[in-house]
Amino acid sequence: MSIQNILDIAKSSLIAQRLALEVTSENVTNVNTPGYSRQTTTLTTSITTMESGFAMGTGVKVSDIQRAYDDFLQSQLSKENTNSGFGSAVLSSMEQVEQLFNDLTTDGLGQAMQDFFDAWQDLTANPQGQPERQAVLSMGQQLVDQFQRINSYLNDVKTQANKSLEGLTSDINDMSGQIASLNEQIQQIEIQGGNANELRDQRDLVVRELSAEVGITYIENGDGTLSVSLTLGQPLVIGNQSATLSLEQDVTNSGFYKIMATSPGGTTAVDISTIVGGPDNTQGEMGGTLQVRDTLVNGFLSDLDELAYTLANEVNSIHETSYGLDGVTGRDFFTVPSAMDGYSGLGGISLAVTTTSEVAAADSDPLVNGTGNNNSATAIADIYDTVLSTSGGNMTLEGFFNSLVGKVGVAVQDATRRADQSDGILQQLDNLRESNSGVSLDEELANLVKYQKAYEGAAKLINVGTEMMDTILGLIN
Amino acid sequence: MRVTQNTTANLVTNNLQTIRKRTEELQQQASTGYKVTMASDDPVTAQQILHMKSLMASGDQYARNISNGIAWLTMSEGAMSELGNVITRAKELTVAMSSETNNDSSRQAAVNEFEELKAQVITLGNTQLNGKYIFGGFKNDTPPFDSSGNFLGTDDAISVEVDHGSFVQMNYSGGELIRGTGGGTDIIATLDNIIAALNSNDTSGVEAELSNLDDALGQVLATRTDLGARLTHLNSANTMIDNMNLSLTKITSDKQDADMIQVISDLSKQQTAYEAAVAAAAKISQISLLDYLS
Repeated sequence: MSIQNILDIAKSSLIAQRLALEVTSENVTNVNTPGYSRQTTTLTTSITTMESGFAMGTGVKVSDIQRAYDDFLQSQLSKENTNSGFGSAVLSSMEQVEQLFNDLTTDGLGQAMQDFFDAWQDLTANPQGQPERQAVLSMGQQLVDQFQRINSYLNDVKTQANKSLEGLTSDINDMSGQIASLNEQIQQIEIQGGNANELRDQRDLVVRELSAEVGITYIENGDGTLSVSLTLGQPLVIGNQSATLSLEQDVTNSGFYKIMATSPGGTTAVDISTIVGGPDNTQGEMGGTLQVRDTLVNGFLSDLDELAYTLANEVNSIHETSYGLDGVTGRDFFTVPSAMDGYSGLGGISLAVTTTSEVAAADSDPLVNGTGNNNSATAIADIYDTVLSTSGGNMTLEGFFNSLVGKVGVAVQDATRRADQSDGILQQLDNLRESNSGVSLDEELANLVKYQKAYEGAAKLINVGTEMMDTILGLIN
Repeated sequence: MRVTQNTTANLVTNNLQTIRKRTEELQQQASTGYKVTMASDDPVTAQQILHMKSLMASGDQYARNISNGIAWLTMSEGAMSELGNVITRAKELTVAMSSETNNDSSRQAAVNEFEELKAQVITLGNTQLNGKYIFGGFKNDTPPFDSSGNFLGTDDAISVEVDHGSFVQMNYSGGELIRGTGGGTDIIATLDNIIAALNSNDTSGVEAELSNLDDALGQVLATRTDLGARLTHLNSANTMIDNMNLSLTKITSDKQDADMIQVISDLSKQQTAYEAAVAAAAKISQISLLDYLS
């Protein structure tokens, strides 16, 4: 055996321990880096050689630097991020909607409706009274205002959802681009051997972020690149190329955006509006936003329209056969709806009567048969208690409004439950990921001491080797 | 399970967040006094609360209608009672004038008084409430009786709703009450007949009208009885609304109001939990291997 071997073995140890220390320090410094997975150095013995009839080792080598990574957790996290993205997008819009229907603590549409019919009740007691007639007009206007206020806010929520598609698509483009460029770097590094641990961590993080915006599936290829596509098919990233999403106004959907995609490496954009949100728009922030814009709010709007439409038609049908104080009949109280769709909004419901004498409380000409006739006022006031046929079954106007409030409540409750649930699961998964991949400072400090001592030992070996060498060389003198 | 510093930190943050969230809910309940402030707190209860609120508001409206009705009927009652007095006086006078012993001057005095009584009947027929002639039917903004007692009003019923679908007529037709339209006794005509008979010194003619005066008195009394029944109806409807509103208020309160004792004690529990969590977090993160490495 030669002294040279001792020095060689010591050298291999110095290199290996130094590498391990580097990895440890990388871990320590990245303790709080989002998405970072702790790395471990795998040390193995070098090849053995036969020496003086014995099999002797030749030192230590670093066989691998591995990151603690759980593929299953990553896919779970992506999936749950998708749910959470959907939940929070729907929840924030639904909470805005709920404020509009909060008749429990403030006076809203329900109260306005009640006030309107109460004003008619008051008119039955004094059909000629100017103050009573004025109250009917004012309460009618207030009712119209409430309808239009809620309608315009609901449309605002839709517009806002539509507007947020701009940020969403540009985020998705950005992240797809990042994945594509990370794909390229990872491929280039790993072709030379070794693992591109940090880059993979970054890519995993971007994938998780992307999955919060849209529902995605991904698969890792043999060359280390990741192919990403929407759950319903459209590819987003292939190798080092990414898709580009863009927005176009859709004239068939009130000028709202439709979402176009140019496939990776492609040149023509296709309409992916129906698939980008996942099945029935249930995935990711994109799905949530589209569902708010195209389904949820429309449901409330159509109920509101129906309420306004039914109310106006019922009041008009009595009012137009009744007589104003001026003896004129055939007037409508509200503008006649041309269609139910959009009637609760601007250009829809409004007062058709303007002066107090046009308010019709009598079912016969008051100029001939007396102005004390209150029969029509009674009939109109009674509409509030009348069970009418509606899309939700037979109910009163008040019942219909209350069930609309209930619907909104259920939608918010549902969204809250969904968001809370996926937040809880995400926390669990994050904990698991942290437990698996997170850096423990105690652990790393212990490792630090371990590798430092080994490094000192190896240095001591070189010292000893040098002395032995000196001894031998001294013999020559 | 491997535990790192970040696991502990996350745990602490999440727990504190949970406690904070719960505390905020309780604080909202404590400050508003309601446990249901949003439809999403409990959609089913929220609908019920809204429905009960609307029932209470309707009740308030019916109470207003009832008080209008009571005002009309009380006014009518006063007028009818006075009308009874007038007829009774007319009867006394008629009895006195039925004897042959009266001379011209006493007859003339009687004629004057009958004229006076007729004018009084017309005035009573033109009784007003808030500028409305209550016996005029639908034509209630002009006097229903002219100076000679012709009825110019209508016989229409003016009704108010006192409960869901339940109406009470709050007026009486002056035509039916005083002119006997629809088969009753015509009080004005009876008085006119007496005056005519007195003027022509027709004692038997005067006497013949006595039965009509009796009928007239009966007519007024019958109407007053009917009025009393209507008033009872209105009062009982009013009591019912009061009772219903009382129980509705109670039910709504049960459904909507927060149990303050519960809320406050829960709040202090959360407070304790929060302090404990903070203290524990501070203790755990104090020590690390770093403290022992030189």
